[in-house]
Amino acid sequence: MTHSPSATPVAAPRRTTRRPRGGLLSGAVLLVLAAVAVLPFLFMAATSIQKTTRIALTIDWSRIDLSNYTRLFQDYGFTAALMTSAIVVVISCALNAVVCSLAAFAFEKKPFPGSETLFWVYVATMMVPPQVTLIPLYTIMRDVGLLNTHLSLALPVVNAFGVFLIRQFMQSIPDDLLDAARIDGARDLQIFFRIVLPLIKPTIVALTVFTFLTVWNDFLWPLVSISKDSMQTVTLAAAKLQGRTQVEYGLVMAGAAVATIVPFVLYMFLQKQFVEGVTSSSVKG
Amino acid sequence: MAITTARRRRSFGGIGYIVPSFAILLIIMVIPIVMSIYYSFTDYSVLGSPDWIGLRNYVDLLSDGSFLSAMRNTIVYTIIAVPLQTIVALFVADMLAKRFRNRFGRFVRSALFIPVISSLVVVAVVWRALLGVDGGLVNQVLALIGVDPVNFLGRPTLALVTVGLVTVWKNVGYFLVIYYAGIMEIPGELYEASAIDGASRWQQLWHITIPSLRAVTLLVVILGTIWSFQVFDLVYVMTGGGPGGATTTIVMKIFQSGFQNFRMGYASAMAIVLFVIVLVVAVVQRKVMSRHDA
Repeated sequence: MTHSPSATPVAAPRRTTRRPRGGLLSGAVLLVLAAVAVLPFLFMAATSIQKTTRIALTIDWSRIDLSNYTRLFQDYGFTAALMTSAIVVVISCALNAVVCSLAAFAFEKKPFPGSETLFWVYVATMMVPPQVTLIPLYTIMRDVGLLNTHLSLALPVVNAFGVFLIRQFMQSIPDDLLDAARIDGARDLQIFFRIVLPLIKPTIVALTVFTFLTVWNDFLWPLVSISKDSMQTVTLAAAKLQGRTQVEYGLVMAGAAVATIVPFVLYMFLQKQFVEGVTSSSVKG
Repeated sequence: MAITTARRRRSFGGIGYIVPSFAILLIIMVIPIVMSIYYSFTDYSVLGSPDWIGLRNYVDLLSDGSFLSAMRNTIVYTIIAVPLQTIVALFVADMLAKRFRNRFGRFVRSALFIPVISSLVVVAVVWRALLGVDGGLVNQVLALIGVDPVNFLGRPTLALVTVGLVTVWKNVGYFLVIYYAGIMEIPGELYEASAIDGASRWQQLWHITIPSLRAVTLLVVILGTIWSFQVFDLVYVMTGGGPGGATTTIVMKIFQSGFQNFRMGYASAMAIVLFVIVLVVAVVQRKVMSRHDA
């Protein structure tokens, strides 16, 4: 399962205090690394709100100018892009959570002949790089007339990884609990919604964070499958901005800032879930 | 146990729960994989229909200089990014776990995770601006200490190295979390015992931490390698594959062949080659992993 990083600092022996010098040095190193990780985003934000042709290190209050943002929304289709991304995120997160938890429920709690084999087929599909299915996915979507639709952006995000993740978590739900409900006359679907779903909520949240980031940040699939400007995702729109305006750093940075702000704000509120959701993909090997 | 098997025998009811996911995976995974393999044996431009040409695409790939150099670029990029991001993540995780299991440590981990949640596109857009020859931040700083502007993304080898380093910047926070969790699972007594024996911090890292984390390191390296072989967004936005194809990677080449030159059969053959590479890497991981468990 996912290791929650904050869960095990139980027996942290405090040997550290005895070597203050080394502690100071590594503290300084870590501070520098944290700065290197964060500063580019601050430069991005600072540049985006100023009239400037270079990357801004500081904010010059006399040159504050929000026109980069108004232009994004008025001239560069960012309103539509935000809408598209939001809709696709909602569809894909809901679809992935429902479809994967249903399948995980069956694999773990209602196995049928051949279900283990089928599960391994599911697991095997996780190893396929998305670039392998890219071209056929494009021709399929084209042939059924789904290119440039929200569904075509959301559907390919459904992944057996969700099934795998939720099933692992479901193993901790005792069968007795479900049997007891069954004896009380509950039907399986009721058991799923009333008992199982509330219990697996943390995993669903982790999966949803993972799905959200995958969809929001996806680039290659929107790049090849979206030809209508009104159907661009935010990430695609932010990337295209750079091609259009080579020197207008302010505008390009504003686009990048809009693409970053939504995941960033969610990350601020849901740090633990983000770390779990994102790193949970590492256990699939 | 008896109850479970009895229930297992009579219920085919579970199938209904599988159907939605199975239908979707069939459409977006299974059928496309089969089609991709089929396409790779055909000559297929978007407008016509696929013509069977047997192994021609694969034979052509072997003598296609631009594909071979894309392969080389991808390998060089992997060799730059993977060891560095692994080592940095390990050292930082070790520092955090040994000395900073406190607010400061949490702050550092949170900060280093911000690049992880941002899209590669944003990372590429921002770093491209920071590295620009004219007005880019890095060159502004270099100018302060009297260094002439460096064209980081305009010189062949340097561009590939630069993209590799940006990858490290983006990924360290991710692998750090995995390493950190791994270090937390190493029994504290090991360190206490060695401290009594007078082991230094470096000796502990070298003789306890790193050997204990062998399985985690394997995971980090394999995952990093698989990601590196799939690199696209970064190069597409930062360099467009240039200068002169110096940063064109395998997926970049798939994109160009399939969606710019519309040679979808040929691009599919490249995709299958990529698939095989990733599969081999994953199988090697499983082999090594199971040997460790035994």
